[in-house]
Amino acid sequence: MDKVWVVAKREYLERVRSRWFVVMTLLVPVLITATFLVPAWVAAKAASGSAARNIVILDATSTGLGQRVADILVRDSSAAAASRRAAAAPEPGPQVRVVSQAQLPAAEDSATRQVMKPNSIVGYLVLDDSTLSARRIRYAGRNASSIVDMDRVRSAVRQAFTSVMLQREGVKPETISLISSLSLNMSQTRIDERGKGGNAQAAIFLGIGIGVLLLMSIVFHGQNVLRGVLEEKSTRVAEVVISSVKPEMLLAGKVAGAGAVGLTQQVLWIAISAYLLTNFAPIVLRAAGAPVGGGGGSSAALGISFGGLTIGLFVAVILYFLLGFVFYASLLAAAGSMVNSEQDAQQAAMPVMYLLIGSWLFVNSVIVNPTGTTAKVLSWLPFSSPIIMPMRMGLSPVPWLSVAGSLAVCALGCVLAVWLAARIYRVGMLMYGKKPSLAEVAKWVRYA
Amino acid sequence: MQDKDLAIDICGITKRYEEHVAVRELSLQVPRGSVYGLLGPNGAGKTTTIRMLLDIIKPDAGSIAIFGRPSTESGLLNRVGYLPEERGLYRKMQVRRVLRFLAELKGVKPADADKRIDEWLQRFGLTTKDKDWGNSKIDELSRGMQQKVQFIATLLHDPELVILDEPFSGLDPINAQALKDTVVELKRRGRTVIFSTHVMENAERMCDAVCIIARGEKVLDGQVTDVRSSSGRRNVALALMGDNGSRDVRENGVGHVLRDSRLVRHFDDNNRYFEIELAPGADEQELLHKLIEAGARIERFELVLPSLHQIFIERVGASGVETGMSGHG
Repeated sequence: MDKVWVVAKREYLERVRSRWFVVMTLLVPVLITATFLVPAWVAAKAASGSAARNIVILDATSTGLGQRVADILVRDSSAAAASRRAAAAPEPGPQVRVVSQAQLPAAEDSATRQVMKPNSIVGYLVLDDSTLSARRIRYAGRNASSIVDMDRVRSAVRQAFTSVMLQREGVKPETISLISSLSLNMSQTRIDERGKGGNAQAAIFLGIGIGVLLLMSIVFHGQNVLRGVLEEKSTRVAEVVISSVKPEMLLAGKVAGAGAVGLTQQVLWIAISAYLLTNFAPIVLRAAGAPVGGGGGSSAALGISFGGLTIGLFVAVILYFLLGFVFYASLLAAAGSMVNSEQDAQQAAMPVMYLLIGSWLFVNSVIVNPTGTTAKVLSWLPFSSPIIMPMRMGLSPVPWLSVAGSLAVCALGCVLAVWLAARIYRVGMLMYGKKPSLAEVAKWVRYA
Repeated sequence: MQDKDLAIDICGITKRYEEHVAVRELSLQVPRGSVYGLLGPNGAGKTTTIRMLLDIIKPDAGSIAIFGRPSTESGLLNRVGYLPEERGLYRKMQVRRVLRFLAELKGVKPADADKRIDEWLQRFGLTTKDKDWGNSKIDELSRGMQQKVQFIATLLHDPELVILDEPFSGLDPINAQALKDTVVELKRRGRTVIFSTHVMENAERMCDAVCIIARGEKVLDGQVTDVRSSSGRRNVALALMGDNGSRDVRENGVGHVLRDSRLVRHFDDNNRYFEIELAPGADEQELLHKLIEAGARIERFELVLPSLHQIFIERVGASGVETGMSGHG
């Protein structure tokens, strides 16, 4: 056992010292943070609507429509403005210029010149006779290709138009203002066997996140084991090492060392991502003008809740990672020991990778129906359960007895995989020359 | 000989592969404190024998004892140092870290290992005032330096038994000399050294005892002096003065003498000298007389035992080298 420890220690230290490890460990949390923050930032930016406010409305309808549109645009972004507690004075809304139909061309010209100047208004909206008769409006400005801004302008005009029409139909002004300020707030709640709980979107997010994390880690660190084995073989250092330590011990040490590297990396990923998200999310969102509450407000603003991430799920993720890693890494090590070159190694690893990627192909149907037959079967098979079961647990609760059973089956699968891998590895490590056929490998397993 | 006096006691081991038998009922004993040569052509089964000795592969039959204990006993291999024929180290690792790792695998404590590594690096000139190669990656070392690091790895845990598989192949003369000196020193300190080679001159120079194997079977073994005298023959080493002494041999009188079958059974022209095998019952003094009469100007006339090389050629012959089996000796 001492020697397993020595092998694992070397494996761990050499990998953790490598430049790749450092780069990946820092880069992935940045990417994770970015995938959370960029959409949130875009949404917050859109919600603040600062661009749509800073326009001129040329109103030639003589119905006061322009003022209504301006009011609506101001009200839309007032929620965002309210959040900027520091902001001293509320920003001015759109300027409304009431003009006659005849003055319109000249007014448009002057507005165009104004838009062309930097640090001025971004665009102008024209409301004229055709707006009332044919429901046509025109907009010109620097942000004319901004989908968000154009949507905002269009819906503001539609709202204003609606209230004008309602007024004509004799609806009371109070009712109109009530209708136009009506806003909907929908919350989505998941219901499961234990009753209501959690946020449905957050659960999907969590499930997919866990699945991707496990798949990535197993593939990445499993490939590392394969490359390590191949290196030992092709540099011929294997023979010196095997003269000191039994091949089974060497295999165990390598898998343990690389697994520890994977675990270290995951813990660092989660810790760094959590740090970045809690510390940078409020800054980024405030910069975008989104409402930001107290300390805990950031995750709420991002629309995620980590409420689904219980201690039990966390432990299960770790256990499934370890088992899944041992399963795949030992088989990949065996694949690496069979061959002599990188290309052959990828080919030898193919059947193993098919098992892994094959399991991933069913992820969609598991997300759609986490309690369906596919999901249930896949969470019991040792080669797919390390990915599917933790995902299912993130999506919907799974009875603890099933989890324990699936873990036991997976552990059994690991024992089998390690036994098989050790036999192939023992013979393969000293076998140079041509790539062995499947029949030959079967013979190794029988006679090793 | 008592069991405990034997460093290695191999008893009737056999290793079969699908198409051929690599080693067939091989038995040999290596006394403690001796330098032992395992000789044989390529593909004779030397490496297979050594791998079985180190428990890297299992014999199909027979038993192997190291220091009187079965070779599979755990911890026993910590007392053995091994230099494989195909050499290599972790390329991206620092020299010191590689050496510490390999020493720790042999059960050396890290602190001890560090001290010994420094001693060895200094001894082999890998740390000097200007440069400490111990902190370089293996990749950055020259081939000669890498070979030195590999020796150090073999000897770092101060093994009682050192097994070297074709240690001289690929060595430059300076490293070959360093290796020879190291082997002699190990012997002086009572260590046992066993090495395989197909270069008979190395074996003749260094080995106390040898075993010649061919086609997986033992051809002969014993003390080098016994092996060389066992043929009951004596040879004469003859060197003639002058540049073209040997070139004229076929035409002049010297050649005539050498072809006299009453005196000479066979002679081997080594360019610098002739190795002459006397005919049965021939008198070497008569040969000397005849040569002088024939006008030879003699630089060297020495009675010698047949060289291992000659014995090897004679006993193994060309047929001992099986085709298509190279590499896995």
